[in-house]
Amino acid sequence: MKKTILVVDDFASIRDFVCETLQRKGYETLGASNGNEAFKVLTEKNESINLVLTDYNMPDCTGFELLKKIKENPAVSKVPVVFLTTESNPDKMRSAKEAGLSAWIKKPYRSETFFAQIENAISNG
Amino acid sequence: MLSAMDSNQKRFVEDALDLLNELDEGLLQLEANPQASAPLEQVFRTMHTIKGGANMFGFENIGELAHQLETLYDLVRQGNMQVSDGLISITLHAFDKVRDLLQEKDASKIANAESLKDHLKIAVQFLKSVETESVSSASNGSNSAITKDELATFFIRVSPTISMTPDGNHPLVFIIQDLEALGTAKTLCYKREDATVIHWDIFLSTTTAQPEIESYFLFVENECKVEYNKLLACDLFGADEFKQFIDQFETTPVSTEALQAIVKKLAATVENKTAHEEEAESSATGKKKFNDTYIKVSKRKIDDLLNWISELIILQAQLVNATSHINSVEITEVTEQLEMITSRLRDTSLEIGLVPIETLVTKFKRLVRDLSKTLNKKVNFLSEGAETEMDKDVIELMAEPMIHIIRNCIDHGIESPADRKTLGKSEHGTVKLKAFNSSSYVNIIISDDGKGINRESVLKKAIERGLVAADAVLTEEETLNLIFHPGLSTASAVSDVSGRGVGMDVVKQKINDLRGYVSIKSMPGKGTSIHIKLPLSRSIIEGLLVKVEETRYVVPLNVIDRIDRIAYDTLIRDNHVNKTVVVNEETLPVFSLRKKFHNETAAPKTTDIISVTVNGIKKGIAVDRIEGKMQTVMKPLGDVYQHQDFIAGSTILGDGSLALVLDPARLFQLSEN
Repeated sequence: MKKTILVVDDFASIRDFVCETLQRKGYETLGASNGNEAFKVLTEKNESINLVLTDYNMPDCTGFELLKKIKENPAVSKVPVVFLTTESNPDKMRSAKEAGLSAWIKKPYRSETFFAQIENAISNG
Repeated sequence: MLSAMDSNQKRFVEDALDLLNELDEGLLQLEANPQASAPLEQVFRTMHTIKGGANMFGFENIGELAHQLETLYDLVRQGNMQVSDGLISITLHAFDKVRDLLQEKDASKIANAESLKDHLKIAVQFLKSVETESVSSASNGSNSAITKDELATFFIRVSPTISMTPDGNHPLVFIIQDLEALGTAKTLCYKREDATVIHWDIFLSTTTAQPEIESYFLFVENECKVEYNKLLACDLFGADEFKQFIDQFETTPVSTEALQAIVKKLAATVENKTAHEEEAESSATGKKKFNDTYIKVSKRKIDDLLNWISELIILQAQLVNATSHINSVEITEVTEQLEMITSRLRDTSLEIGLVPIETLVTKFKRLVRDLSKTLNKKVNFLSEGAETEMDKDVIELMAEPMIHIIRNCIDHGIESPADRKTLGKSEHGTVKLKAFNSSSYVNIIISDDGKGINRESVLKKAIERGLVAADAVLTEEETLNLIFHPGLSTASAVSDVSGRGVGMDVVKQKINDLRGYVSIKSMPGKGTSIHIKLPLSRSIIEGLLVKVEETRYVVPLNVIDRIDRIAYDTLIRDNHVNKTVVVNEETLPVFSLRKKFHNETAAPKTTDIISVTVNGIKKGIAVDRIEGKMQTVMKPLGDVYQHQDFIAGSTILGDGSLALVLDPARLFQLSEN
């Protein structure tokens, strides 16, 4: 069965680009433009989503807030969350890890690193 | 990289252009309200998104610029820096360039554009100056957030705790590759017989700080053990000895003892070098701090200071006067010193009030953009000399007149894109603002490459309205100057944009009030240029004190070329203007103050001719006697004298009497009429 990844980014061209990249590798994708929308999609379809790949800096609900919401909600807390972001502040990374983040992919990424991290996050949670 | 843009890049460009508009809006809000956090967050986030997108779609130059600027705004967010006009305008300028660049259809042209480099440099400089500033104010202890990246060589040993091969698909393999990309690196991999990794030894010379390097391994903490060893704060790969040292470990594991030894040895030679460099650097940054640190001072305080200094200048003149009959070397010495110091004080205090006209330029950029949109015209705005400094008051007073001129350029000057095309011009019109200093004037030239002013229609209208006689013969200049006449607008229809509010007559009036000059040049089909010349200082001038009969006048020193004494009889008796007086073997039109205003008493034997150059034309002013050079504070004359505009103002002399400050240009205008 194909794995489904929920891609969250407020910047449509990046979101579409990431989705297309993932689709070419055989993943199903869903899109959301901010944390609140993503959380709604996730709670509605939580059975079918294998990974949340989200930006860090977004309006309304940031990636970090989304991560906390997911990890605090038992219904969806098992879904691994990966940040895809240009943010690289080690403190932010550490607190995200403590909040249950699976991987932090820095933009711009190399596609090998990108897929290795995603694959690793999906299989190891 | 492909030259044509792929669909993703195209979509990015579209999105980015929208984002840039949002960014503009945020920046303008922030400029209006520097303390507000909502626009600050918006600006930061937008820049961040642009950075991410740009990096992702291969426009690293845009990404890097956005990154530098984002860093600056991050400092603001953390409270380590204030929003300043300078910050806003470098950001606006930088992203304007990005916007221009994104119009390009060729992806590789965008990615390889050199044009962002200057802006990047400016942003980096700005960051540096902020850092120096915060270092100099280290006592507040809040500067820990600004850590300067420094080059260092690390030795990093990564030992996987789970079984993996160096060509496997574990994220760690790729993390190590990512790490290598942070600088100059050499990685040695030691494997067991089954090809699984024992450890990677990475030598890395990078400007990335250790905490950030550590963050790379944050999410694989359970799968490996990492040892960090910062060898030296420099690039060891620069030393051949070090490279040879590493090479011997291709097959055998790195011996930490041998490593320590060689680092110690290299450190001794490197330290000498860096000590020198650091010294040079600190002296350079010291200088920088001197140039670039700013404090905010209330305008009122500066005005007070200027007022007191002007009083001091008058007093100093009085002192010279009062002591002139005392024959004492000591007193002369003191008064001379005092004179020198007052004059320096005056110069410094004048500079305090000067600010770059950059703020105006930023305002105009928005104006041009908005206007050209409303009018469906394509207009580029270019500015040159935005760093030219002007009195802050003058800048404020000039904003409106200049906005009016720019409006006229776009509304009446620049043709529609279609018309321009038919005329063989580029669709984009250009409005250019050029500012520069010359002697004690600031020059501002606003020009466009539009259709120019139709002189016939100006003249026709002026005749229709009875401003000039129907049979009048006017020079080009005179015709063009008619547009400054109250109530003469060349636009046949009043548009929304110009033709309302202030007219060109008001523009001229405002410039006159500032003792400035405005002239206009226009070439049909080629465009119009308006030259504004404003005095640097509004109140303190240096002048030559002269006497005619019993009245004293001051002639501003900055226009004077030379002084000659000739026989009074040389001037023809009844005319106050003599066109051909020979002075210094040249003929010179001379204006005699005596003949014009004091013709009743007996004439002196000689007259002093002051040669001045005004607007590029040499003329002479004849006076009875020259009394000396002085610096003086100009006071307005009051409403009664409002129409005597050849007198710029008055000043109080050392003996308490009054002298009139002449405005040479207007004096000659008077003589021509």
